[in-house]
Amino acid sequence: MMTLFRQGILSTVDPELLIALDARAEEIAKGASVNSAVGALLALGSIPIALGALAREVYGQTPSDVLDVLQFALLLEYLESDFYQRGMNATLLIPASDRTLFSTISTHETTHVTALQGLIGGKGAAPRTKPAFDFTAKGNVAGFAFLPTQYATFTALAQAFEDTGVRAYKGQVGRLINDKAVLNAALSIHSVEARHASAVRRLRGKKGWITRNSRDDLPPFTQGIYDGEENMTHAGVSVTPLAVNFGSADSATEAFDEPLTMAQVTAIVAPFLA
Amino acid sequence: MHRQWQDHCGRTVTVRSIADLNAFTSRREFMRLMGMGGALVMLPSLFTGCEDGANTGGLTGPGTGNTVTIDFARGDIAVLQFAYALEQLEADFYTQVVANFSGSNLTAADQAVLSDIRNHEVIHREFLKAALGSNANFSLTPTYGSLNFKDRSPVLAAAKVFEDLGVAAYNGAAQYLADVNNLLAAGKIVSVEARHASAVRDLINPLSADFAPTPFDDVYSPAKVAFAAQGFIVDKLAFANAPTAFAPGPNGNG
Repeated sequence: MMTLFRQGILSTVDPELLIALDARAEEIAKGASVNSAVGALLALGSIPIALGALAREVYGQTPSDVLDVLQFALLLEYLESDFYQRGMNATLLIPASDRTLFSTISTHETTHVTALQGLIGGKGAAPRTKPAFDFTAKGNVAGFAFLPTQYATFTALAQAFEDTGVRAYKGQVGRLINDKAVLNAALSIHSVEARHASAVRRLRGKKGWITRNSRDDLPPFTQGIYDGEENMTHAGVSVTPLAVNFGSADSATEAFDEPLTMAQVTAIVAPFLA
Repeated sequence: MHRQWQDHCGRTVTVRSIADLNAFTSRREFMRLMGMGGALVMLPSLFTGCEDGANTGGLTGPGTGNTVTIDFARGDIAVLQFAYALEQLEADFYTQVVANFSGSNLTAADQAVLSDIRNHEVIHREFLKAALGSNANFSLTPTYGSLNFKDRSPVLAAAKVFEDLGVAAYNGAAQYLADVNNLLAAGKIVSVEARHASAVRDLINPLSADFAPTPFDDVYSPAKVAFAAQGFIVDKLAFANAPTAFAPGPNGNG
């Protein structure tokens, strides 16, 4: 059927959509559920209209797409909550002066996990299970085991996870544009991750915001967390000329946080999956 | 810091922090204060219908100036105009803070943070101005009452109000954006506002839990944000064709 589509109606359609449609058609052929409106339209033979509905589905404003974002976010929150729980439970790792800060973050991340699980369940799906994590990042953080002498490494990893979280949520909000409840949930978590990031960065003696694409003192394997943060164009508007008259290029990059794609985040997280 | 102004019936409204917005206004009370019940035009109606005279705030008081109307029938443009209004306010506030460093009791560490924030807010304002082009056609006059810009405590308290309000405002206005590019731009700004809020809160109460008081940030309707912001703006902020539907956030207080 897809071949016929491609030679006929679809010859004028965005090729990226075609690829996505092809993949979706294969899923449907294998028995994946299809939006009932799409099914009804196809049954009626109203192919152009059904195509429009399918296109909407492919472009990410559908329940299946929202679920994908929620499951992705849940993985990140599992990572963070596991990390902070281990940190809080580790003897003599976090100094007394800093325990309030990290217990606050830890509680939030655990709450985010519960909330995302609830949202996923509310969509009729099963939340992904929590994987095992490797906080040495496959040896990139050699020997890290939440030991009393490793607090500096702990806070560095916290910065890495929080800055990643902000960018990860930001990269997905566009796919939630038609589900306002989930959009609001994602945004209200996204900005809390930014509060965490700022607090951890400042605890470490850094600015609360990201300058250019600087990873500060984090190890080179974390550079992907910061690549692209130097971007100076937003919604098609360059802030480069504005930065000349107001502040500086550094402050202009600090003033905007940048998104990461799901693929970029997956690459960042991959070493932490046991 | 406290912001006090008179509502349309001469009652004193005080906002010490963003939380006060929730404390003194249940949603029903807030809706009633706003004079809205569905579609609304906000402030013009606030200044009518009182027995003993309205607008007691004086010529430079909040809401005593020209009416600036944001027409939500314009879709994304209106949302960006709303953000532009808030960024004008923030940029002006921090510009005044920085201009008053001399003789202030703000520490060097405070001043470094506040200078950065000033730069960021000015860039936000100028970015929105450029993005809006001919639709960036209003310039608000902020007012801070008797705020002592030389004094650390009220300056940081006001900064906290502005940053928390900014976060809740962007989080709540996002649902009215139709263009994913605008949604992304708002997302790029809101997380920096949240970084600011965290930093300011940590300056006020270091190493406490205050930097992120709840697991979910607030999601405020434009009407609620305008109500709070109005206390700092001489012009009357007004909405036309304001959205009747608002999807609340996880905290349910929008």
